[in-house]
Amino acid sequence: MRIRALALLGIVAGVCLLLLTLQMRGRSVGASDALALVTTPIQTVLARVNRATLGVWGTYRDWKNVRAENRRLRDETQRLRVEALRVTETDAENQRLRRLLTLKESLPLETMAGEIIAREWGGWVRSLTINRGRGDTVARLTAVIAPDGLVGRIVDVRAGSSVVQVLTDPASTVGAHVVRTRTPGIIEGEPRGTLRFKYMARDGSGIQVGDVVVTSGLGGLFPGGIPIGRVRTIDDRGSALFSYAQVTPAVDFARIDEVLLLTGGAARDVAASFRSDG
Amino acid sequence: MRAFLAIAVLGGGVAHATVGSALRIADVAPDIPLIVVVLLALRRGPEFGCGAGFVAGLLQDAATGGLLGVQALTKAVIGFGIGALGGRLRVSQPLVQVPGLVVLSLLEGLARFGLLQLFHFPAPFGELMVYVVLPQALYNGFLGAALVLALAWAETARSRPS
Repeated sequence: MRIRALALLGIVAGVCLLLLTLQMRGRSVGASDALALVTTPIQTVLARVNRATLGVWGTYRDWKNVRAENRRLRDETQRLRVEALRVTETDAENQRLRRLLTLKESLPLETMAGEIIAREWGGWVRSLTINRGRGDTVARLTAVIAPDGLVGRIVDVRAGSSVVQVLTDPASTVGAHVVRTRTPGIIEGEPRGTLRFKYMARDGSGIQVGDVVVTSGLGGLFPGGIPIGRVRTIDDRGSALFSYAQVTPAVDFARIDEVLLLTGGAARDVAASFRSDG
Repeated sequence: MRAFLAIAVLGGGVAHATVGSALRIADVAPDIPLIVVVLLALRRGPEFGCGAGFVAGLLQDAATGGLLGVQALTKAVIGFGIGALGGRLRVSQPLVQVPGLVVLSLLEGLARFGLLQLFHFPAPFGELMVYVVLPQALYNGFLGAALVLALAWAETARSRPS
């Protein structure tokens, strides 16, 4: 058995050495060709199988990569969306503060900026709470304005905050007149959150829808010329002593975040400051 | 069984050049025919190991376009040697299989280098050993051990009464 194995090894070694010798002398073309006849078909089949397997594997890997990429891009989109919202919010705040600053600088009165920290919108009471209080020497009945017009007056001063009675509060009344006709009257708040302009019928015959109503400055509480709103509808009761007009407020009370408190200065007409602001 | 052996030897010899690239890790491909020859020689003895090594090596030489006979001779010698020593080797443990295959691969590399030198074939020894033979030997060691374990597991599963 061992001799046979050794003989086989010897033959194999001999064949190999012969092959090598022939190749070194350039006479191995026949042997190479004969082997190629065996190896080439097998290689072809294996290459095809290999390529197909690798193709499936490659497709699977691509799919996995696409999935991972998809997840990454989704996260990125989410992050960018939040970032965009933040930028939009900052931009809006910037614009609001710019308008407030422009108004503050154009007003011939002493003012103090305040930030709204709470809103009461129940119907019984319509008020805003601002972050200015007794510590900021805020006085009761101080007028509160926004870049678009009158907001209301301070009715309660606390340690670090104050409550502003909004124009639409049912208990709010403000002396006003129509800019175009100079018709005097009183702006009253209504429980449904709207404004009503009450005026003497004989004085208001020329009032039209779209007329601007501003503070009259009478009474000394509010300076004159602060926009209150625009006439929306007119309720002319004919023979009645008073007529009424529904007024759309100039300020969107639900959306303002910053206000100005008119803390000092003579009660003069400030219409120019608002007119330039639009 | 014979068909399986034929496929193993023939396929192993040719697959190295074709499918071997799929198993490439860091530009190192395992010597599949060597692993096949060693596994067969351990089971079938020196004669089969020698013949299998010769055929697989010759096909490998032809498939890779190298000098015909170099790997045929080295693998035939390895197959014969492992087949002859098979009974005395305890190859069931991975701690033996891995270093065993590494040493065999290194020996095969050395033998191949010696043959190439004998026939004046230019081959730088240091670079060959560091960049080709040693990494391939390590790869062969781990792949061969994994194959031995897989075969043992398959045989155990097959012999278990159902």
